[in-house]
Formats: sequence, structure tokens, C-alpha cells
Amino acid sequence: MNMLWLVPTLPFIGFLLLFVTGGKLGKGAVAALGAGSMFLAALLAFWIGMQFEHAGGVPFRLPVWQWIETGGLTVQGAFYLDGLSLVMMGVITGVGFLIHLFATGYMAEETDYSRFFAYMNLFVAAMLVLVLADDLLVLYIGWEGVGLCSYLLIGYNHHIADSVTAARKAFVITRIGDVGLALGIFVLYRAFGTTQISALMAHAQAAWPSGSVICSAAALLFLVGAAGKSAQTPLQTWLPDAMAGPTPVSALIHAATMVTAGVYLIARLHVLFMLAPDARFAVTAVGLLTLFIAAFAALVQTDIKRVLAYSTMSQIGYMFFALGVGAWSAGVFHLMTHAFFKALLFLSAGALSLALHHEQNLFRMGGLWRKLPLPFLGMAIGAAALTALPLTSGYFSKDAILLHSFGVQENGPIFWAVASGASFLTGLYSMRMMMLAFFGATNTEPHDHSTAAARLAMQVPIVILAVLALAGGWFGVASLNTVLPDHGVHEAEGMPSWLPVVTAGIPILGALLGWLLYRDQRGFVTRVANSSQIAPVKTLLATGWGFDSIYDALISRPMMLVVRANKNDLLDMLVRFGAGLMRLLHDLLALSENGQLRWYGANMALGTIVLLLFVVGVL
Amino acid sequence: MTLLWLITVLLAGGALSWLLGSPLLGSLLFGSSLLGRANTRLPRWIALATLLLAGGMLVEIWHGGPLPGRSWYAEVALPWIPRFGIGLQLGLDGLSLLMVALTVVLGIVAVLASGDEIKHRHGFYHFNVLWMVAGVIGVFTAFDLFLFYFFWEVMLIPAYLLIAVWGAEQRQRAAMQFFVFTQSSGLLMLLSFLVLVYAHHAVTGVVTFNYFALLGTQFAPALAQWAMVGLVIAFLVKLPGVPFHTWLPDAYTQAPTGGSILLAGIMSKTGAYGLLRFVVPMFPEASRTLHWPMMLLGALGVVYGGMLAFAQSDVKRLVAYSSLSHMGFVLLGIFAWNELALQGAVLQMVAHGVSIAALFVIVGVLAQRVGSREVSRMSGVWAAAPKLGAMGLIVLVATLGMPGFGNFVAEFMVLLGTFKVSVAVVVVAGAGLVLAALYALSLMQRAFQGPPGNTVIADIGVAQLTLLLSLIAALVYLGVHPQPVFDLWAPTLSELSARVPGL
Repeated sequence: MNMLWLVPTLPFIGFLLLFVTGGKLGKGAVAALGAGSMFLAALLAFWIGMQFEHAGGVPFRLPVWQWIETGGLTVQGAFYLDGLSLVMMGVITGVGFLIHLFATGYMAEETDYSRFFAYMNLFVAAMLVLVLADDLLVLYIGWEGVGLCSYLLIGYNHHIADSVTAARKAFVITRIGDVGLALGIFVLYRAFGTTQISALMAHAQAAWPSGSVICSAAALLFLVGAAGKSAQTPLQTWLPDAMAGPTPVSALIHAATMVTAGVYLIARLHVLFMLAPDARFAVTAVGLLTLFIAAFAALVQTDIKRVLAYSTMSQIGYMFFALGVGAWSAGVFHLMTHAFFKALLFLSAGALSLALHHEQNLFRMGGLWRKLPLPFLGMAIGAAALTALPLTSGYFSKDAILLHSFGVQENGPIFWAVASGASFLTGLYSMRMMMLAFFGATNTEPHDHSTAAARLAMQVPIVILAVLALAGGWFGVASLNTVLPDHGVHEAEGMPSWLPVVTAGIPILGALLGWLLYRDQRGFVTRVANSSQIAPVKTLLATGWGFDSIYDALISRPMMLVVRANKNDLLDMLVRFGAGLMRLLHDLLALSENGQLRWYGANMALGTIVLLLFVVGVL
Repeated sequence: MTLLWLITVLLAGGALSWLLGSPLLGSLLFGSSLLGRANTRLPRWIALATLLLAGGMLVEIWHGGPLPGRSWYAEVALPWIPRFGIGLQLGLDGLSLLMVALTVVLGIVAVLASGDEIKHRHGFYHFNVLWMVAGVIGVFTAFDLFLFYFFWEVMLIPAYLLIAVWGAEQRQRAAMQFFVFTQSSGLLMLLSFLVLVYAHHAVTGVVTFNYFALLGTQFAPALAQWAMVGLVIAFLVKLPGVPFHTWLPDAYTQAPTGGSILLAGIMSKTGAYGLLRFVVPMFPEASRTLHWPMMLLGALGVVYGGMLAFAQSDVKRLVAYSSLSHMGFVLLGIFAWNELALQGAVLQMVAHGVSIAALFVIVGVLAQRVGSREVSRMSGVWAAAPKLGAMGLIVLVATLGMPGFGNFVAEFMVLLGTFKVSVAVVVVAGAGLVLAALYALSLMQRAFQGPPGNTVIADIGVAQLTLLLSLIAALVYLGVHPQPVFDLWAPTLSELSARVPGL
């Protein structure tokens, strides 16, 4: 396990080599470096996982370097491995490698191949630092690092104005969350004088009574950070636009890195959240709200990647919801299964749109299931797991969350009802996506231009991920048992006997409805969607409930107004006004110096008269 | 004694490059055929050699370790005008050493960066660069108030000339503004010094400008208050702090790249150094009244500078305002006055010096190649000049406080330290982190990204690439292993905090 440092270092070395060579390497070498470093990291992570389990799952801490030691702040760059970070490390390296492998084929036609893989490797390295960090400041390195890499990758096509704007939006909005995280760290440091996570948690446990204001404040600040990175309301607006990046990037952001960071952060700091019921309720509320509004928004998207983006938002919402209601292990479990099926969905969608000349509009697809069997199968399995059809991986994790929520002391059944309602929508939009893309009339003929090698590089990850999306939930995640406060995923007790059946049935009903509506003619749906009452609602949903416009009107525009008004610096104008006044006085006085004797004479006479009047006492 | 030689070498080197660079002497020495080349290249080489020699001397002092039994690395005490108690009192402790090292390094960067931008009077240009560097080093090492004032003026005049002679289209105005601001604030400082000396004389009967003698003096509270305000204004103008910053955008923008590097990279640090070395230790009681106002000014500077930077369409002006924002952290850290914040503030001085130099190199090259500083004239520069684009990206990312670079550690420590003192101020300054992302990435987007423009521009060459990569390497070093910086001036810090435990 002393090799733990090598896990994030391997992709980092990949990044360094690709960066230093600056695009001079051939594509084969780049692919070998980019995907190869990930393969080694995944292998090493697996091996370390075996060792860890063999040693009985005892948390392990590996100091690497002394970072800061001054003025009462000691930060040791150290990595920390326990059941939670093990799961994360496994998902990041495993799924990350598969996405890299896929990308070697998918990006084969791109010119800037090397830059792409450099960013991808750095992304994974940053995410690994985030989950393996022993200290909040080290975690912050990874935290900002994934933000940077998402910026770089969303804006990978730097000559396209839209992708650059989307990239900047993603960075700035997540940065707002980052400030929350930083402030949270400040609160903890001020209270306990350290930033080491396990020490902080021990201190908090000992010093803060449950429900203390300071603890709630800290937890809420961390929630702000988590919401930014995990695209939860109200900081969710960057995620749909982030689709501007190439599809493997989306897969990486949605499955292996970035958006799961918020879930991890809350799980990692669970002690804090356990002590702060208010903050836990806020987590529940944020999750519930997001899972609900994102599911609605996914219903009306026309871009296949946007459907998937909103579905991610919604699924992360389920994870937040799970953490909030105390289904800690189920939340992290869902993170893992979601990584499998969401990566599968994105990679299949990527293979699909690649065959259609980067067509992403669902309404220009259709009837493709025979022509593109593997993407179809991948999408079908992914959608089934997303819908949580029984025995798929998503079923185990999502049902664990929903069942747990029912048993929550206050409002349990309400929580359950809202979350289950959204899972009905999940079934509906997943089926809609499948029906539109693969059934009905063929609108675009697929052409596969990929070379055999590239095709193979894309097919293998899809097959592996399909297996994982199906079976990845069968065995649960035992390693979480010792870390999280609910001691692993388990059956909720004392619930009504109809509950499991209904919970499992609701998404199936949604899928059935989707099948009925989009089966062949779609006349009914089209009529409803275009009716004058529904159309505005549809537009609202299509824009993700209009959050962008609201923020634009409330924040961006007023701010831009102030910024523009002050472009020339009002303070400087004040100074210039002073200078201008002096010049004016100077000019006025200079007028009197005109060299005309009669003017001087008149002035002297006037002056004398005034003086005389003064002396006489008239003035 | 090496310390005195170090400054003398710089002054002499400056004089030499002016002499040999001048047409008269140059032609006498080299003949008319070599005239052109000698005039342009020779002063540059002399300047470089001088700075390297000075750097070597500094390394020697550093390597020699502290003087026996003390935390000081070097000391010079010679009588100068004994009648008024004025001495040639030079000293080098950890803090001074750090600042002098930064000055020499950025001096070298300034010389290297001003390659083909300087088109005339090469000798005189390098004279000014070297004299300014010498003046700044004098400021960082003087422990006699009169001598401090003397060096303060020595650095001003070359700075003025750098803007006025080699500046851009509005150089006269910018130079005049700079001169009026700094000169009047310099006079305020002199006045404060004189008041101090008189007050000291009134108490002890001794006339002295010696820093250490004056340091322990108890001044009447009202007098201390006024003397301190004079000093604070003088240093705030240099820093610059809001609302005394209005000379900054014009000066930084109009100066040639080398001048901008010296102004923003090292001259601004003299203001912070003055606050740290003179204001707080000499007037601990009076400083207490400024504790809150100054922290607020610092946070305000962070936000105000960020907002102004975001609004700019002139790339150099944008960078100039970003400097205002980053120096706000220094002010914040100094007046939060606890070890963590102070360490952060000094690290920020170093990191900001390096990053702002790199930024000015990049926007200088950019403006020169595009032929305009207007960002609307640029677009998609990355496509034509990927190396320049990559360097721009890295330095901008460092500027916006990405972990892994020194700026992050510095700003984070300042905020962490300030948070112990005041939550509200940190929340205000925290907004600056978002603003930094906004202006840095908007510069990135508008200049480097987007559809490529019509003009084809050349990418940077090996020399510039090496220069920028070295600066980036320094920033990474500061970000990953900042400990040497902390340790170097830790003895000074503990003396300071022993004298003033907290504000």
C-alpha cells in the first residue's frame, strides 16, 4: 500500500509527458501514454484494493511531503485510504481508464490529440488527489484541479466561441461553490487549528454538540461547495452547457470525476453533517429539488447529450437526497453504479453520434437499433439501469435510497413519494430517449468511418461497462461498512410489505408510458407538446426551468452594469476632476496675463478703488 | 561590506551602460562600423552582467549564513552626516534578503523582456533599469530613515524616466501623474520622518535618523498618529491601495514591458515593506486604530481591483488592475497581523512579483505582435501561437489562485489568517476569488480563444519561452514547497510579533 502515491502520480506523469512533448508525439504514442498511464493506475488501484481488504480494511495514511508549516498551520501532503476513498479510487481509475480507452478511438480524427489526453490525464490525477487527500487543503488542490480540467476540456475546441463560453461558465459557477468550500475550511481551522480531516472530525465530535450553530454553518458552507461541483440547485446551470466538450469528456465529468466530488465531500465529512441536522435537511432539500426539476427538464430535451446531462443532475440529486436522509452507504453505492451506467450511456451515445456525423438531435435519429447494434445495446442497458429496472445495478442502489427514505422519522413518506415520482419521470424520459433514437423511421443514415482499431477501442469499453451496469450492483460495496455511519447498505426494517414492490414498479410504469406515447405515430405527444397551453411549459423545461435567465437578470446584468459604469474608475475621475479644476483656475488666471497695458491699468485702478473702499470702511 | 558593494555595482553598471551606449563614447571606442550594434546590444549585456554579478554577491551573502549569533545576514554601519545623526546604515535580515532576491531576479527578467521593444537610447534605458533596481535594493536594506528616503527618491526618478521616455502613446501624462503622486507622498514620508526625529530629540536630546534608535521611542499618541498617517499614505500610494491607486493603471499600461515589470513586480513591494518594517513596529499603538480600516481597504482593493480588471478591454490595463486586486491581499495580511496572515502576505509579495512579471511579458508580446493592446483586435491567438497561448493559460491560471502555484498558498494563508481576526472581511475578499476567475478567463477567452482572427502572428521564440517557463517553474516551486520562504524570514517575523503581539 506504500505505492498509493503512485495512483494519482501515474496519470500526472502522463499529463507531464504529453505537455512537455507538446504535440510532437504520434497518435499511437499519445494513446499509449494517455490510456496506458490510466491502465497502470487502474491496475495498481485494484492491487492496492486487494491488499487493503486483505489487511482487514484498516484505514491507511501515507505521508508524502511537508507542504506548509508556519504560524500554527501545519499541512502535510498525505494520502488517506479507507473504504470510502477505496471505492472512489476504484471508480475513478477503472471507469476513467475505460473512458480513456474509448477516447483513443473516438478522438482518432482530431488534430489536437495530445492536448486532449494531457487534459484528460490531469483531470483524473486531480480527482484522485481529491478523494485520497488526508487534509482539506490537499483536497482543495484536487477540488480546484478538477474545476480547471473541466474548464480546459469543455473548452477543448478553443476556436468555437460557444464551447469557450460554456467552459468559462462552468469554471466561474463552480468557483462560487469553491469559495463556500474555502470558507468552510476557514471555519473549521479557526475552531480547531488544523485542516487534517480525521483530526477535524474527531475534534468536532468532541467539541460541538449536535445542532450547534457553528457546526451547521460549516456544514452549510461545505454544502455550497458540494452543490457547485456536483451541479445541484442553485448552482446547477453549468452542467447542461458543459456538453460543449467532446463526448468522452462528458463521460468523464459525469461518471468518474467532477460531479461526484460533492457527494464524496459530504460523505467524507459525514461526522460534521451528523452533528448538524439543519444542514442535513438542507442537503435533503437540495437533492430532492434537483432530482425533481432535472427529471422534468430531461423530459423535453432534444439533444441526446442534454437528456443525459439532466439525468446526471437528477441522479446526483438522488445521491444528495440519500446523504441527507442518512442513507450514506446507499448514496455512495448509487454513485458507483451511476458511474457505470452513465459512462456506458455517454460512450454509447458518443459511438452513436460519431456514426451520424456528430448528430446529437434525437429527432434526427430514429430506427437505428438494427443499424448500430452495439450502441443500441449499450444505451438500452444503460437506460435500464438508469430507470432502475429490477436486477440492474441502478435498481439495487436507488431502491436502497428510496426504501430508506420512507423510514425517515419526519416526512419520510413525503420524501419517498417525491423521489419515487421523479423515478417515474426517469423511466419516462429514458424510454423516450430510446424510442426516439432507435425506433420509428430512420432520419439519418449512419456511416462508420472509423478504422478497425479505433472501432475496437470504442467497443471494448462499451461491452465492459454494459456488464458492470448490469451486474455492478449485485454484490454491494462491503468496504463502506466501516466508514459511514449507517454501516453499509442494508434492508430497512418495519416498512409496509407493498413498499418494495411499488418502489420497483413506479419507474417501470414510467417506462411503459414512454413506450405507449412514443411507440409509433407519436401524434398524441406532438399534439400535446404543441398545444398553446403546454408549449410555454415545454420551453420553460427545455431551458432547465429558466435558471439562466433569472441569474442573468438578477446577477449578471446588474453586475455588468456596475462593472461597465465603473470601467474608467470613478475614484480616478474624482482625482482627474481635481486636476481639471486646477487647470481651469490656471486658465482663468492666465487670461488676465494678456499683455495689454489698458487691461493692467484698469485692473490696478479697480484694485485701488476696492482697497480704498476697504480702508474707508465701506466694505 | 558586500551589501554596499552590491548597490554600488548596480549604480556603476548603470553608469557604464549609459556611457558605452551613448553615441559619442561608443563611436570612440568601437569605431563607426560597430556603432549600431554596440549601441543596441552592449548596454543590454552590461546590464545583464551587472545584475548577475549583483545576484552572485547576494548568493554569497546568503550562502555565508547569518552573522554570528544573530539573524542578520549582513550589516553596514558607516558615518555619513554625523552632525544630524545620519549614517550609512544598511542591513540584511531574512525579510530584506527575500525582497532583494526578488528585486534582482525581476531586474534580470525586466532586462530580458525588453528585447526589441526598446528602439532608442538603449544605454540610457538600461541605466534607468539598473538605477531603479539599485534604489529598490537600497530601500529594502536601509536602516537609517534619511538613507531610506534617499533611496526612495533614487528609485523614483528612473521609474519616471522609464515611463516618460520609452512609454506608449500617453507616456507624458502617465509619467507626470506617477511623479506627482509618488513625489508628494514621498514628501509626506519625509515630513513624518522629520517629526519622528524631532520628537526623539525632544525626549532624549539626541538627533538621530537611526531606525533602531527610533524604534523603541515612545511618542506622544497624537504625534504618533499624525506621523503614522503620513507614512501610511506614502506606502499606500506605492502599494497601491484604494483609493490611492489611480496613478497605477496609466503608469503600468504606458510603461514599456520592462518598466511595468519593475513597477508592478518590485516597486509595489516597497510600499508593503514599508508598512511591515516601519508603520506597525514603530507605532504599535497608533496602528491599532488602523487595524480595521486597513483590513477593509485591503479587502476592498481585492474586490475593486478585480471589478476594474474585469471591465477593461486593454490587455495591459487589465493586468494592471489585477495587480491592484492582488496587492489587496498583501495589505489585508499585514494588518490582520498574525503569523499566518503575515507569512501569507510576504509569500504573496514574492509570488505576485513573479506572476505579474510573467503576465506583463505575455501581454507585452501579445500587444506587440498584434499591434494593439485592445482585446477586440485579438481573437483566437492560440491557433496561430499555441506556445504563447499555453504560457498565457498557465500564468493566468496561476494568477486566479489555482493550487499548485505560489499565489494560491499565499492568498489562502492570508485569508485563513485573517479569518481568525475577522469573518466579514474574509467574506468580502472571498468575492475577489470569483472575480479573479472572471477577469483572468475573460482575458483568456477574448485574446487567446475563439475563432482565429485575420492577422497571422508569430509564436514566441525559444528565449521567451525559456524565460516564461522559468517564471512558471518558480511559481510552482513556491506553490509546492513554500517552506524556504517561510523559514527565511521567520526570525524577523518573531521579532516583529514579539514587538507587536497583535493589533
